[in-house]
Amino acid sequence: MATENPYLLFDVPGGRLAFGDGDLDIWAEHLAWCYRMMGIPDGATIAVQDFGSSPISFLGSSLLMPGLQRGVAERIDGRFICLDASAERVTLTPALLAQLAVDALIIREDVLVLLSAQLHKKGLAELAQRTMKTIVVFGDEPPALNPVRLPPSRHLMHIENALLLAPQCVKCECFHLREGFYEVDGRMIRNLRLAAPTYDLPRGELFSPSHCAAGIRDWCIGWSPRGQGI
Amino acid sequence: MRDTTSSCARNDAIETLSGAQLTAWQTDRLREVANHAYLEVPFYRELWDRAGVEPGLLRSLEDFARFPTISKHDLVQAGRFWTNPHQGSVAFSTRGTSGAPLLVWLSAEEEEAYIQPTMRGFRWAGFRSGMTALLMSPVWHRLAACEAHAIARLGGRCAFFWGSMGSEYTDSFLHTLSSARPEFITTTAPFLLSLVRGSTGATIRPHDLFKGVRSVVVVGLPLTPRMREFLRDRLEVEDVFERGGTQEGAAIDECRFHSAPHVHEDVCYLEVIDDAGIHVAPGVRGRLIVTKLTTTGSTFVRYDTEDIAAFAPGDCPCGSGFRRLRIYGRPESSVLVGDRLITAYDVRMCIEEDPALVGRNVLLIREANAQAGVLTVAVEGEAHDSANLQARLREQLGVASADIVWLGDLRVNWGFRQVLDGREIRLPRN
Repeated sequence: MATENPYLLFDVPGGRLAFGDGDLDIWAEHLAWCYRMMGIPDGATIAVQDFGSSPISFLGSSLLMPGLQRGVAERIDGRFICLDASAERVTLTPALLAQLAVDALIIREDVLVLLSAQLHKKGLAELAQRTMKTIVVFGDEPPALNPVRLPPSRHLMHIENALLLAPQCVKCECFHLREGFYEVDGRMIRNLRLAAPTYDLPRGELFSPSHCAAGIRDWCIGWSPRGQGI
Repeated sequence: MRDTTSSCARNDAIETLSGAQLTAWQTDRLREVANHAYLEVPFYRELWDRAGVEPGLLRSLEDFARFPTISKHDLVQAGRFWTNPHQGSVAFSTRGTSGAPLLVWLSAEEEEAYIQPTMRGFRWAGFRSGMTALLMSPVWHRLAACEAHAIARLGGRCAFFWGSMGSEYTDSFLHTLSSARPEFITTTAPFLLSLVRGSTGATIRPHDLFKGVRSVVVVGLPLTPRMREFLRDRLEVEDVFERGGTQEGAAIDECRFHSAPHVHEDVCYLEVIDDAGIHVAPGVRGRLIVTKLTTTGSTFVRYDTEDIAAFAPGDCPCGSGFRRLRIYGRPESSVLVGDRLITAYDVRMCIEEDPALVGRNVLLIREANAQAGVLTVAVEGEAHDSANLQARLREQLGVASADIVWLGDLRVNWGFRQVLDGREIRLPRN
């Protein structure tokens, strides 16, 4: 179904997301659910290092988007730190993390190396690792383990043009495709809440519902330990 | 939905106040903000107790001018003592161009106050209901976060491109420009200039893609008149407007007369002071001091931005009673030559008197011989009439000598900084 009268258009890699009245809150609720599945408690301070046109950023708070009644910050009664993912801004992050205790840093995989290097340079890598969860956002598959990067606490799968957001569960370690939001047919994953292209899962193993008690009706995606990089 | 009725009424009414009424209104707001800061933010209470000033006795702008100014360093040092219990739940980072970045908090109430001037500025720039606006990333700046709200309330549609404001994202911007067909654009001036430069020699010229765009609103670099004309003509858009502001609360927008951006006096009280801390007359440059007129969000009272600015003298033909302010630059976009502080804006004004040089990137080079009064300027492209340019720079900027380095094919990113240390770049010497 196409979005009726969209008033917000976001170009993303491989497509466009269009939102009409009421759409944003559905996805902010889903993103808050993802954070809870990854073990982020209510009341948390979440910093997001991503582009402004990524839903992980713009769903962060009702202050960022018109028509968003309650963003993630309002839903978890927490705080949201906007950190753009440009290289210029990533270099500032260590100084900001030194000013404020952050519970979770959500960061795009492609800037994690840069941030890790900056944290090491400033002698803050160990502190950051000890005091906050680092959640790495990836696309088709989790990044391989890399000793020069901050070790991630969790991963969040994000396929931008399909608005596919699948969190790595704290119980089963797999990535949940939430019931009511995504439908699985073979290896095709379809968004049930927004007009978006179907995503063809290229790798990884799909587990049918009943796989995990944290989401008994969810399909789950798992990667082999080698591929998981976790 | 947030209740917007009272703030709308307040902001609409303020545009019609006389000068005296506006002063009285701002004095009341300043007293309210200062009282709040004194009671709720320990940093200010200690600072003002030490300085012997009392918010409760604040009766005039002259009283307010006796409050001490504060710096970014003071706030970073203050840490949690600078926390406002009503600061809100969303934070943005300053760019850290003058040292450590600072986290600045935004609350829903404060954003509500700032959406109104954003709407006003966009109306001045020609936005009308039904238009589509291609906007900056909402996480880039607290003022950028207000933009989509303003467009939605003005009855428009918002489009966003993928990426950020670096020159590596211009293709992404052009993609969205060609598919969303906006009539209105907000962006940064360095980004737009990078885009124009990057399209030199391309099959599709920028103006083909900007077809249908009526207004472009830029931030991040003070526009010289020639630079505005250059952008307008190269992109073939109806008009280019300058918008400005700081994470600390300053908010300014140009009207169609382009005589200098108007201060949104309903959300911020701005001052320009000299080195002795005294207000300077309109037309005279000094340092920009910002006070936010809201009690929520991060509290900034007499914050020294270090920006070099001046109020424009006289009235604007548009009839608005809001003062006009030109921000010329910051220490990092200026060099001290002898005893004169030269901004990149000043140098561009001089260089662009020659039409052949308009649109070229210009960088000031900080070198040891600046103490002896030598201004070193790097200009993109091949050498052009060097002798006359050197004479203009010497004469108009009052420096003993001007050294021009023509960059030839070397391309330097358009950026906010506009000044390089001589050791940061290997310059071709002419």
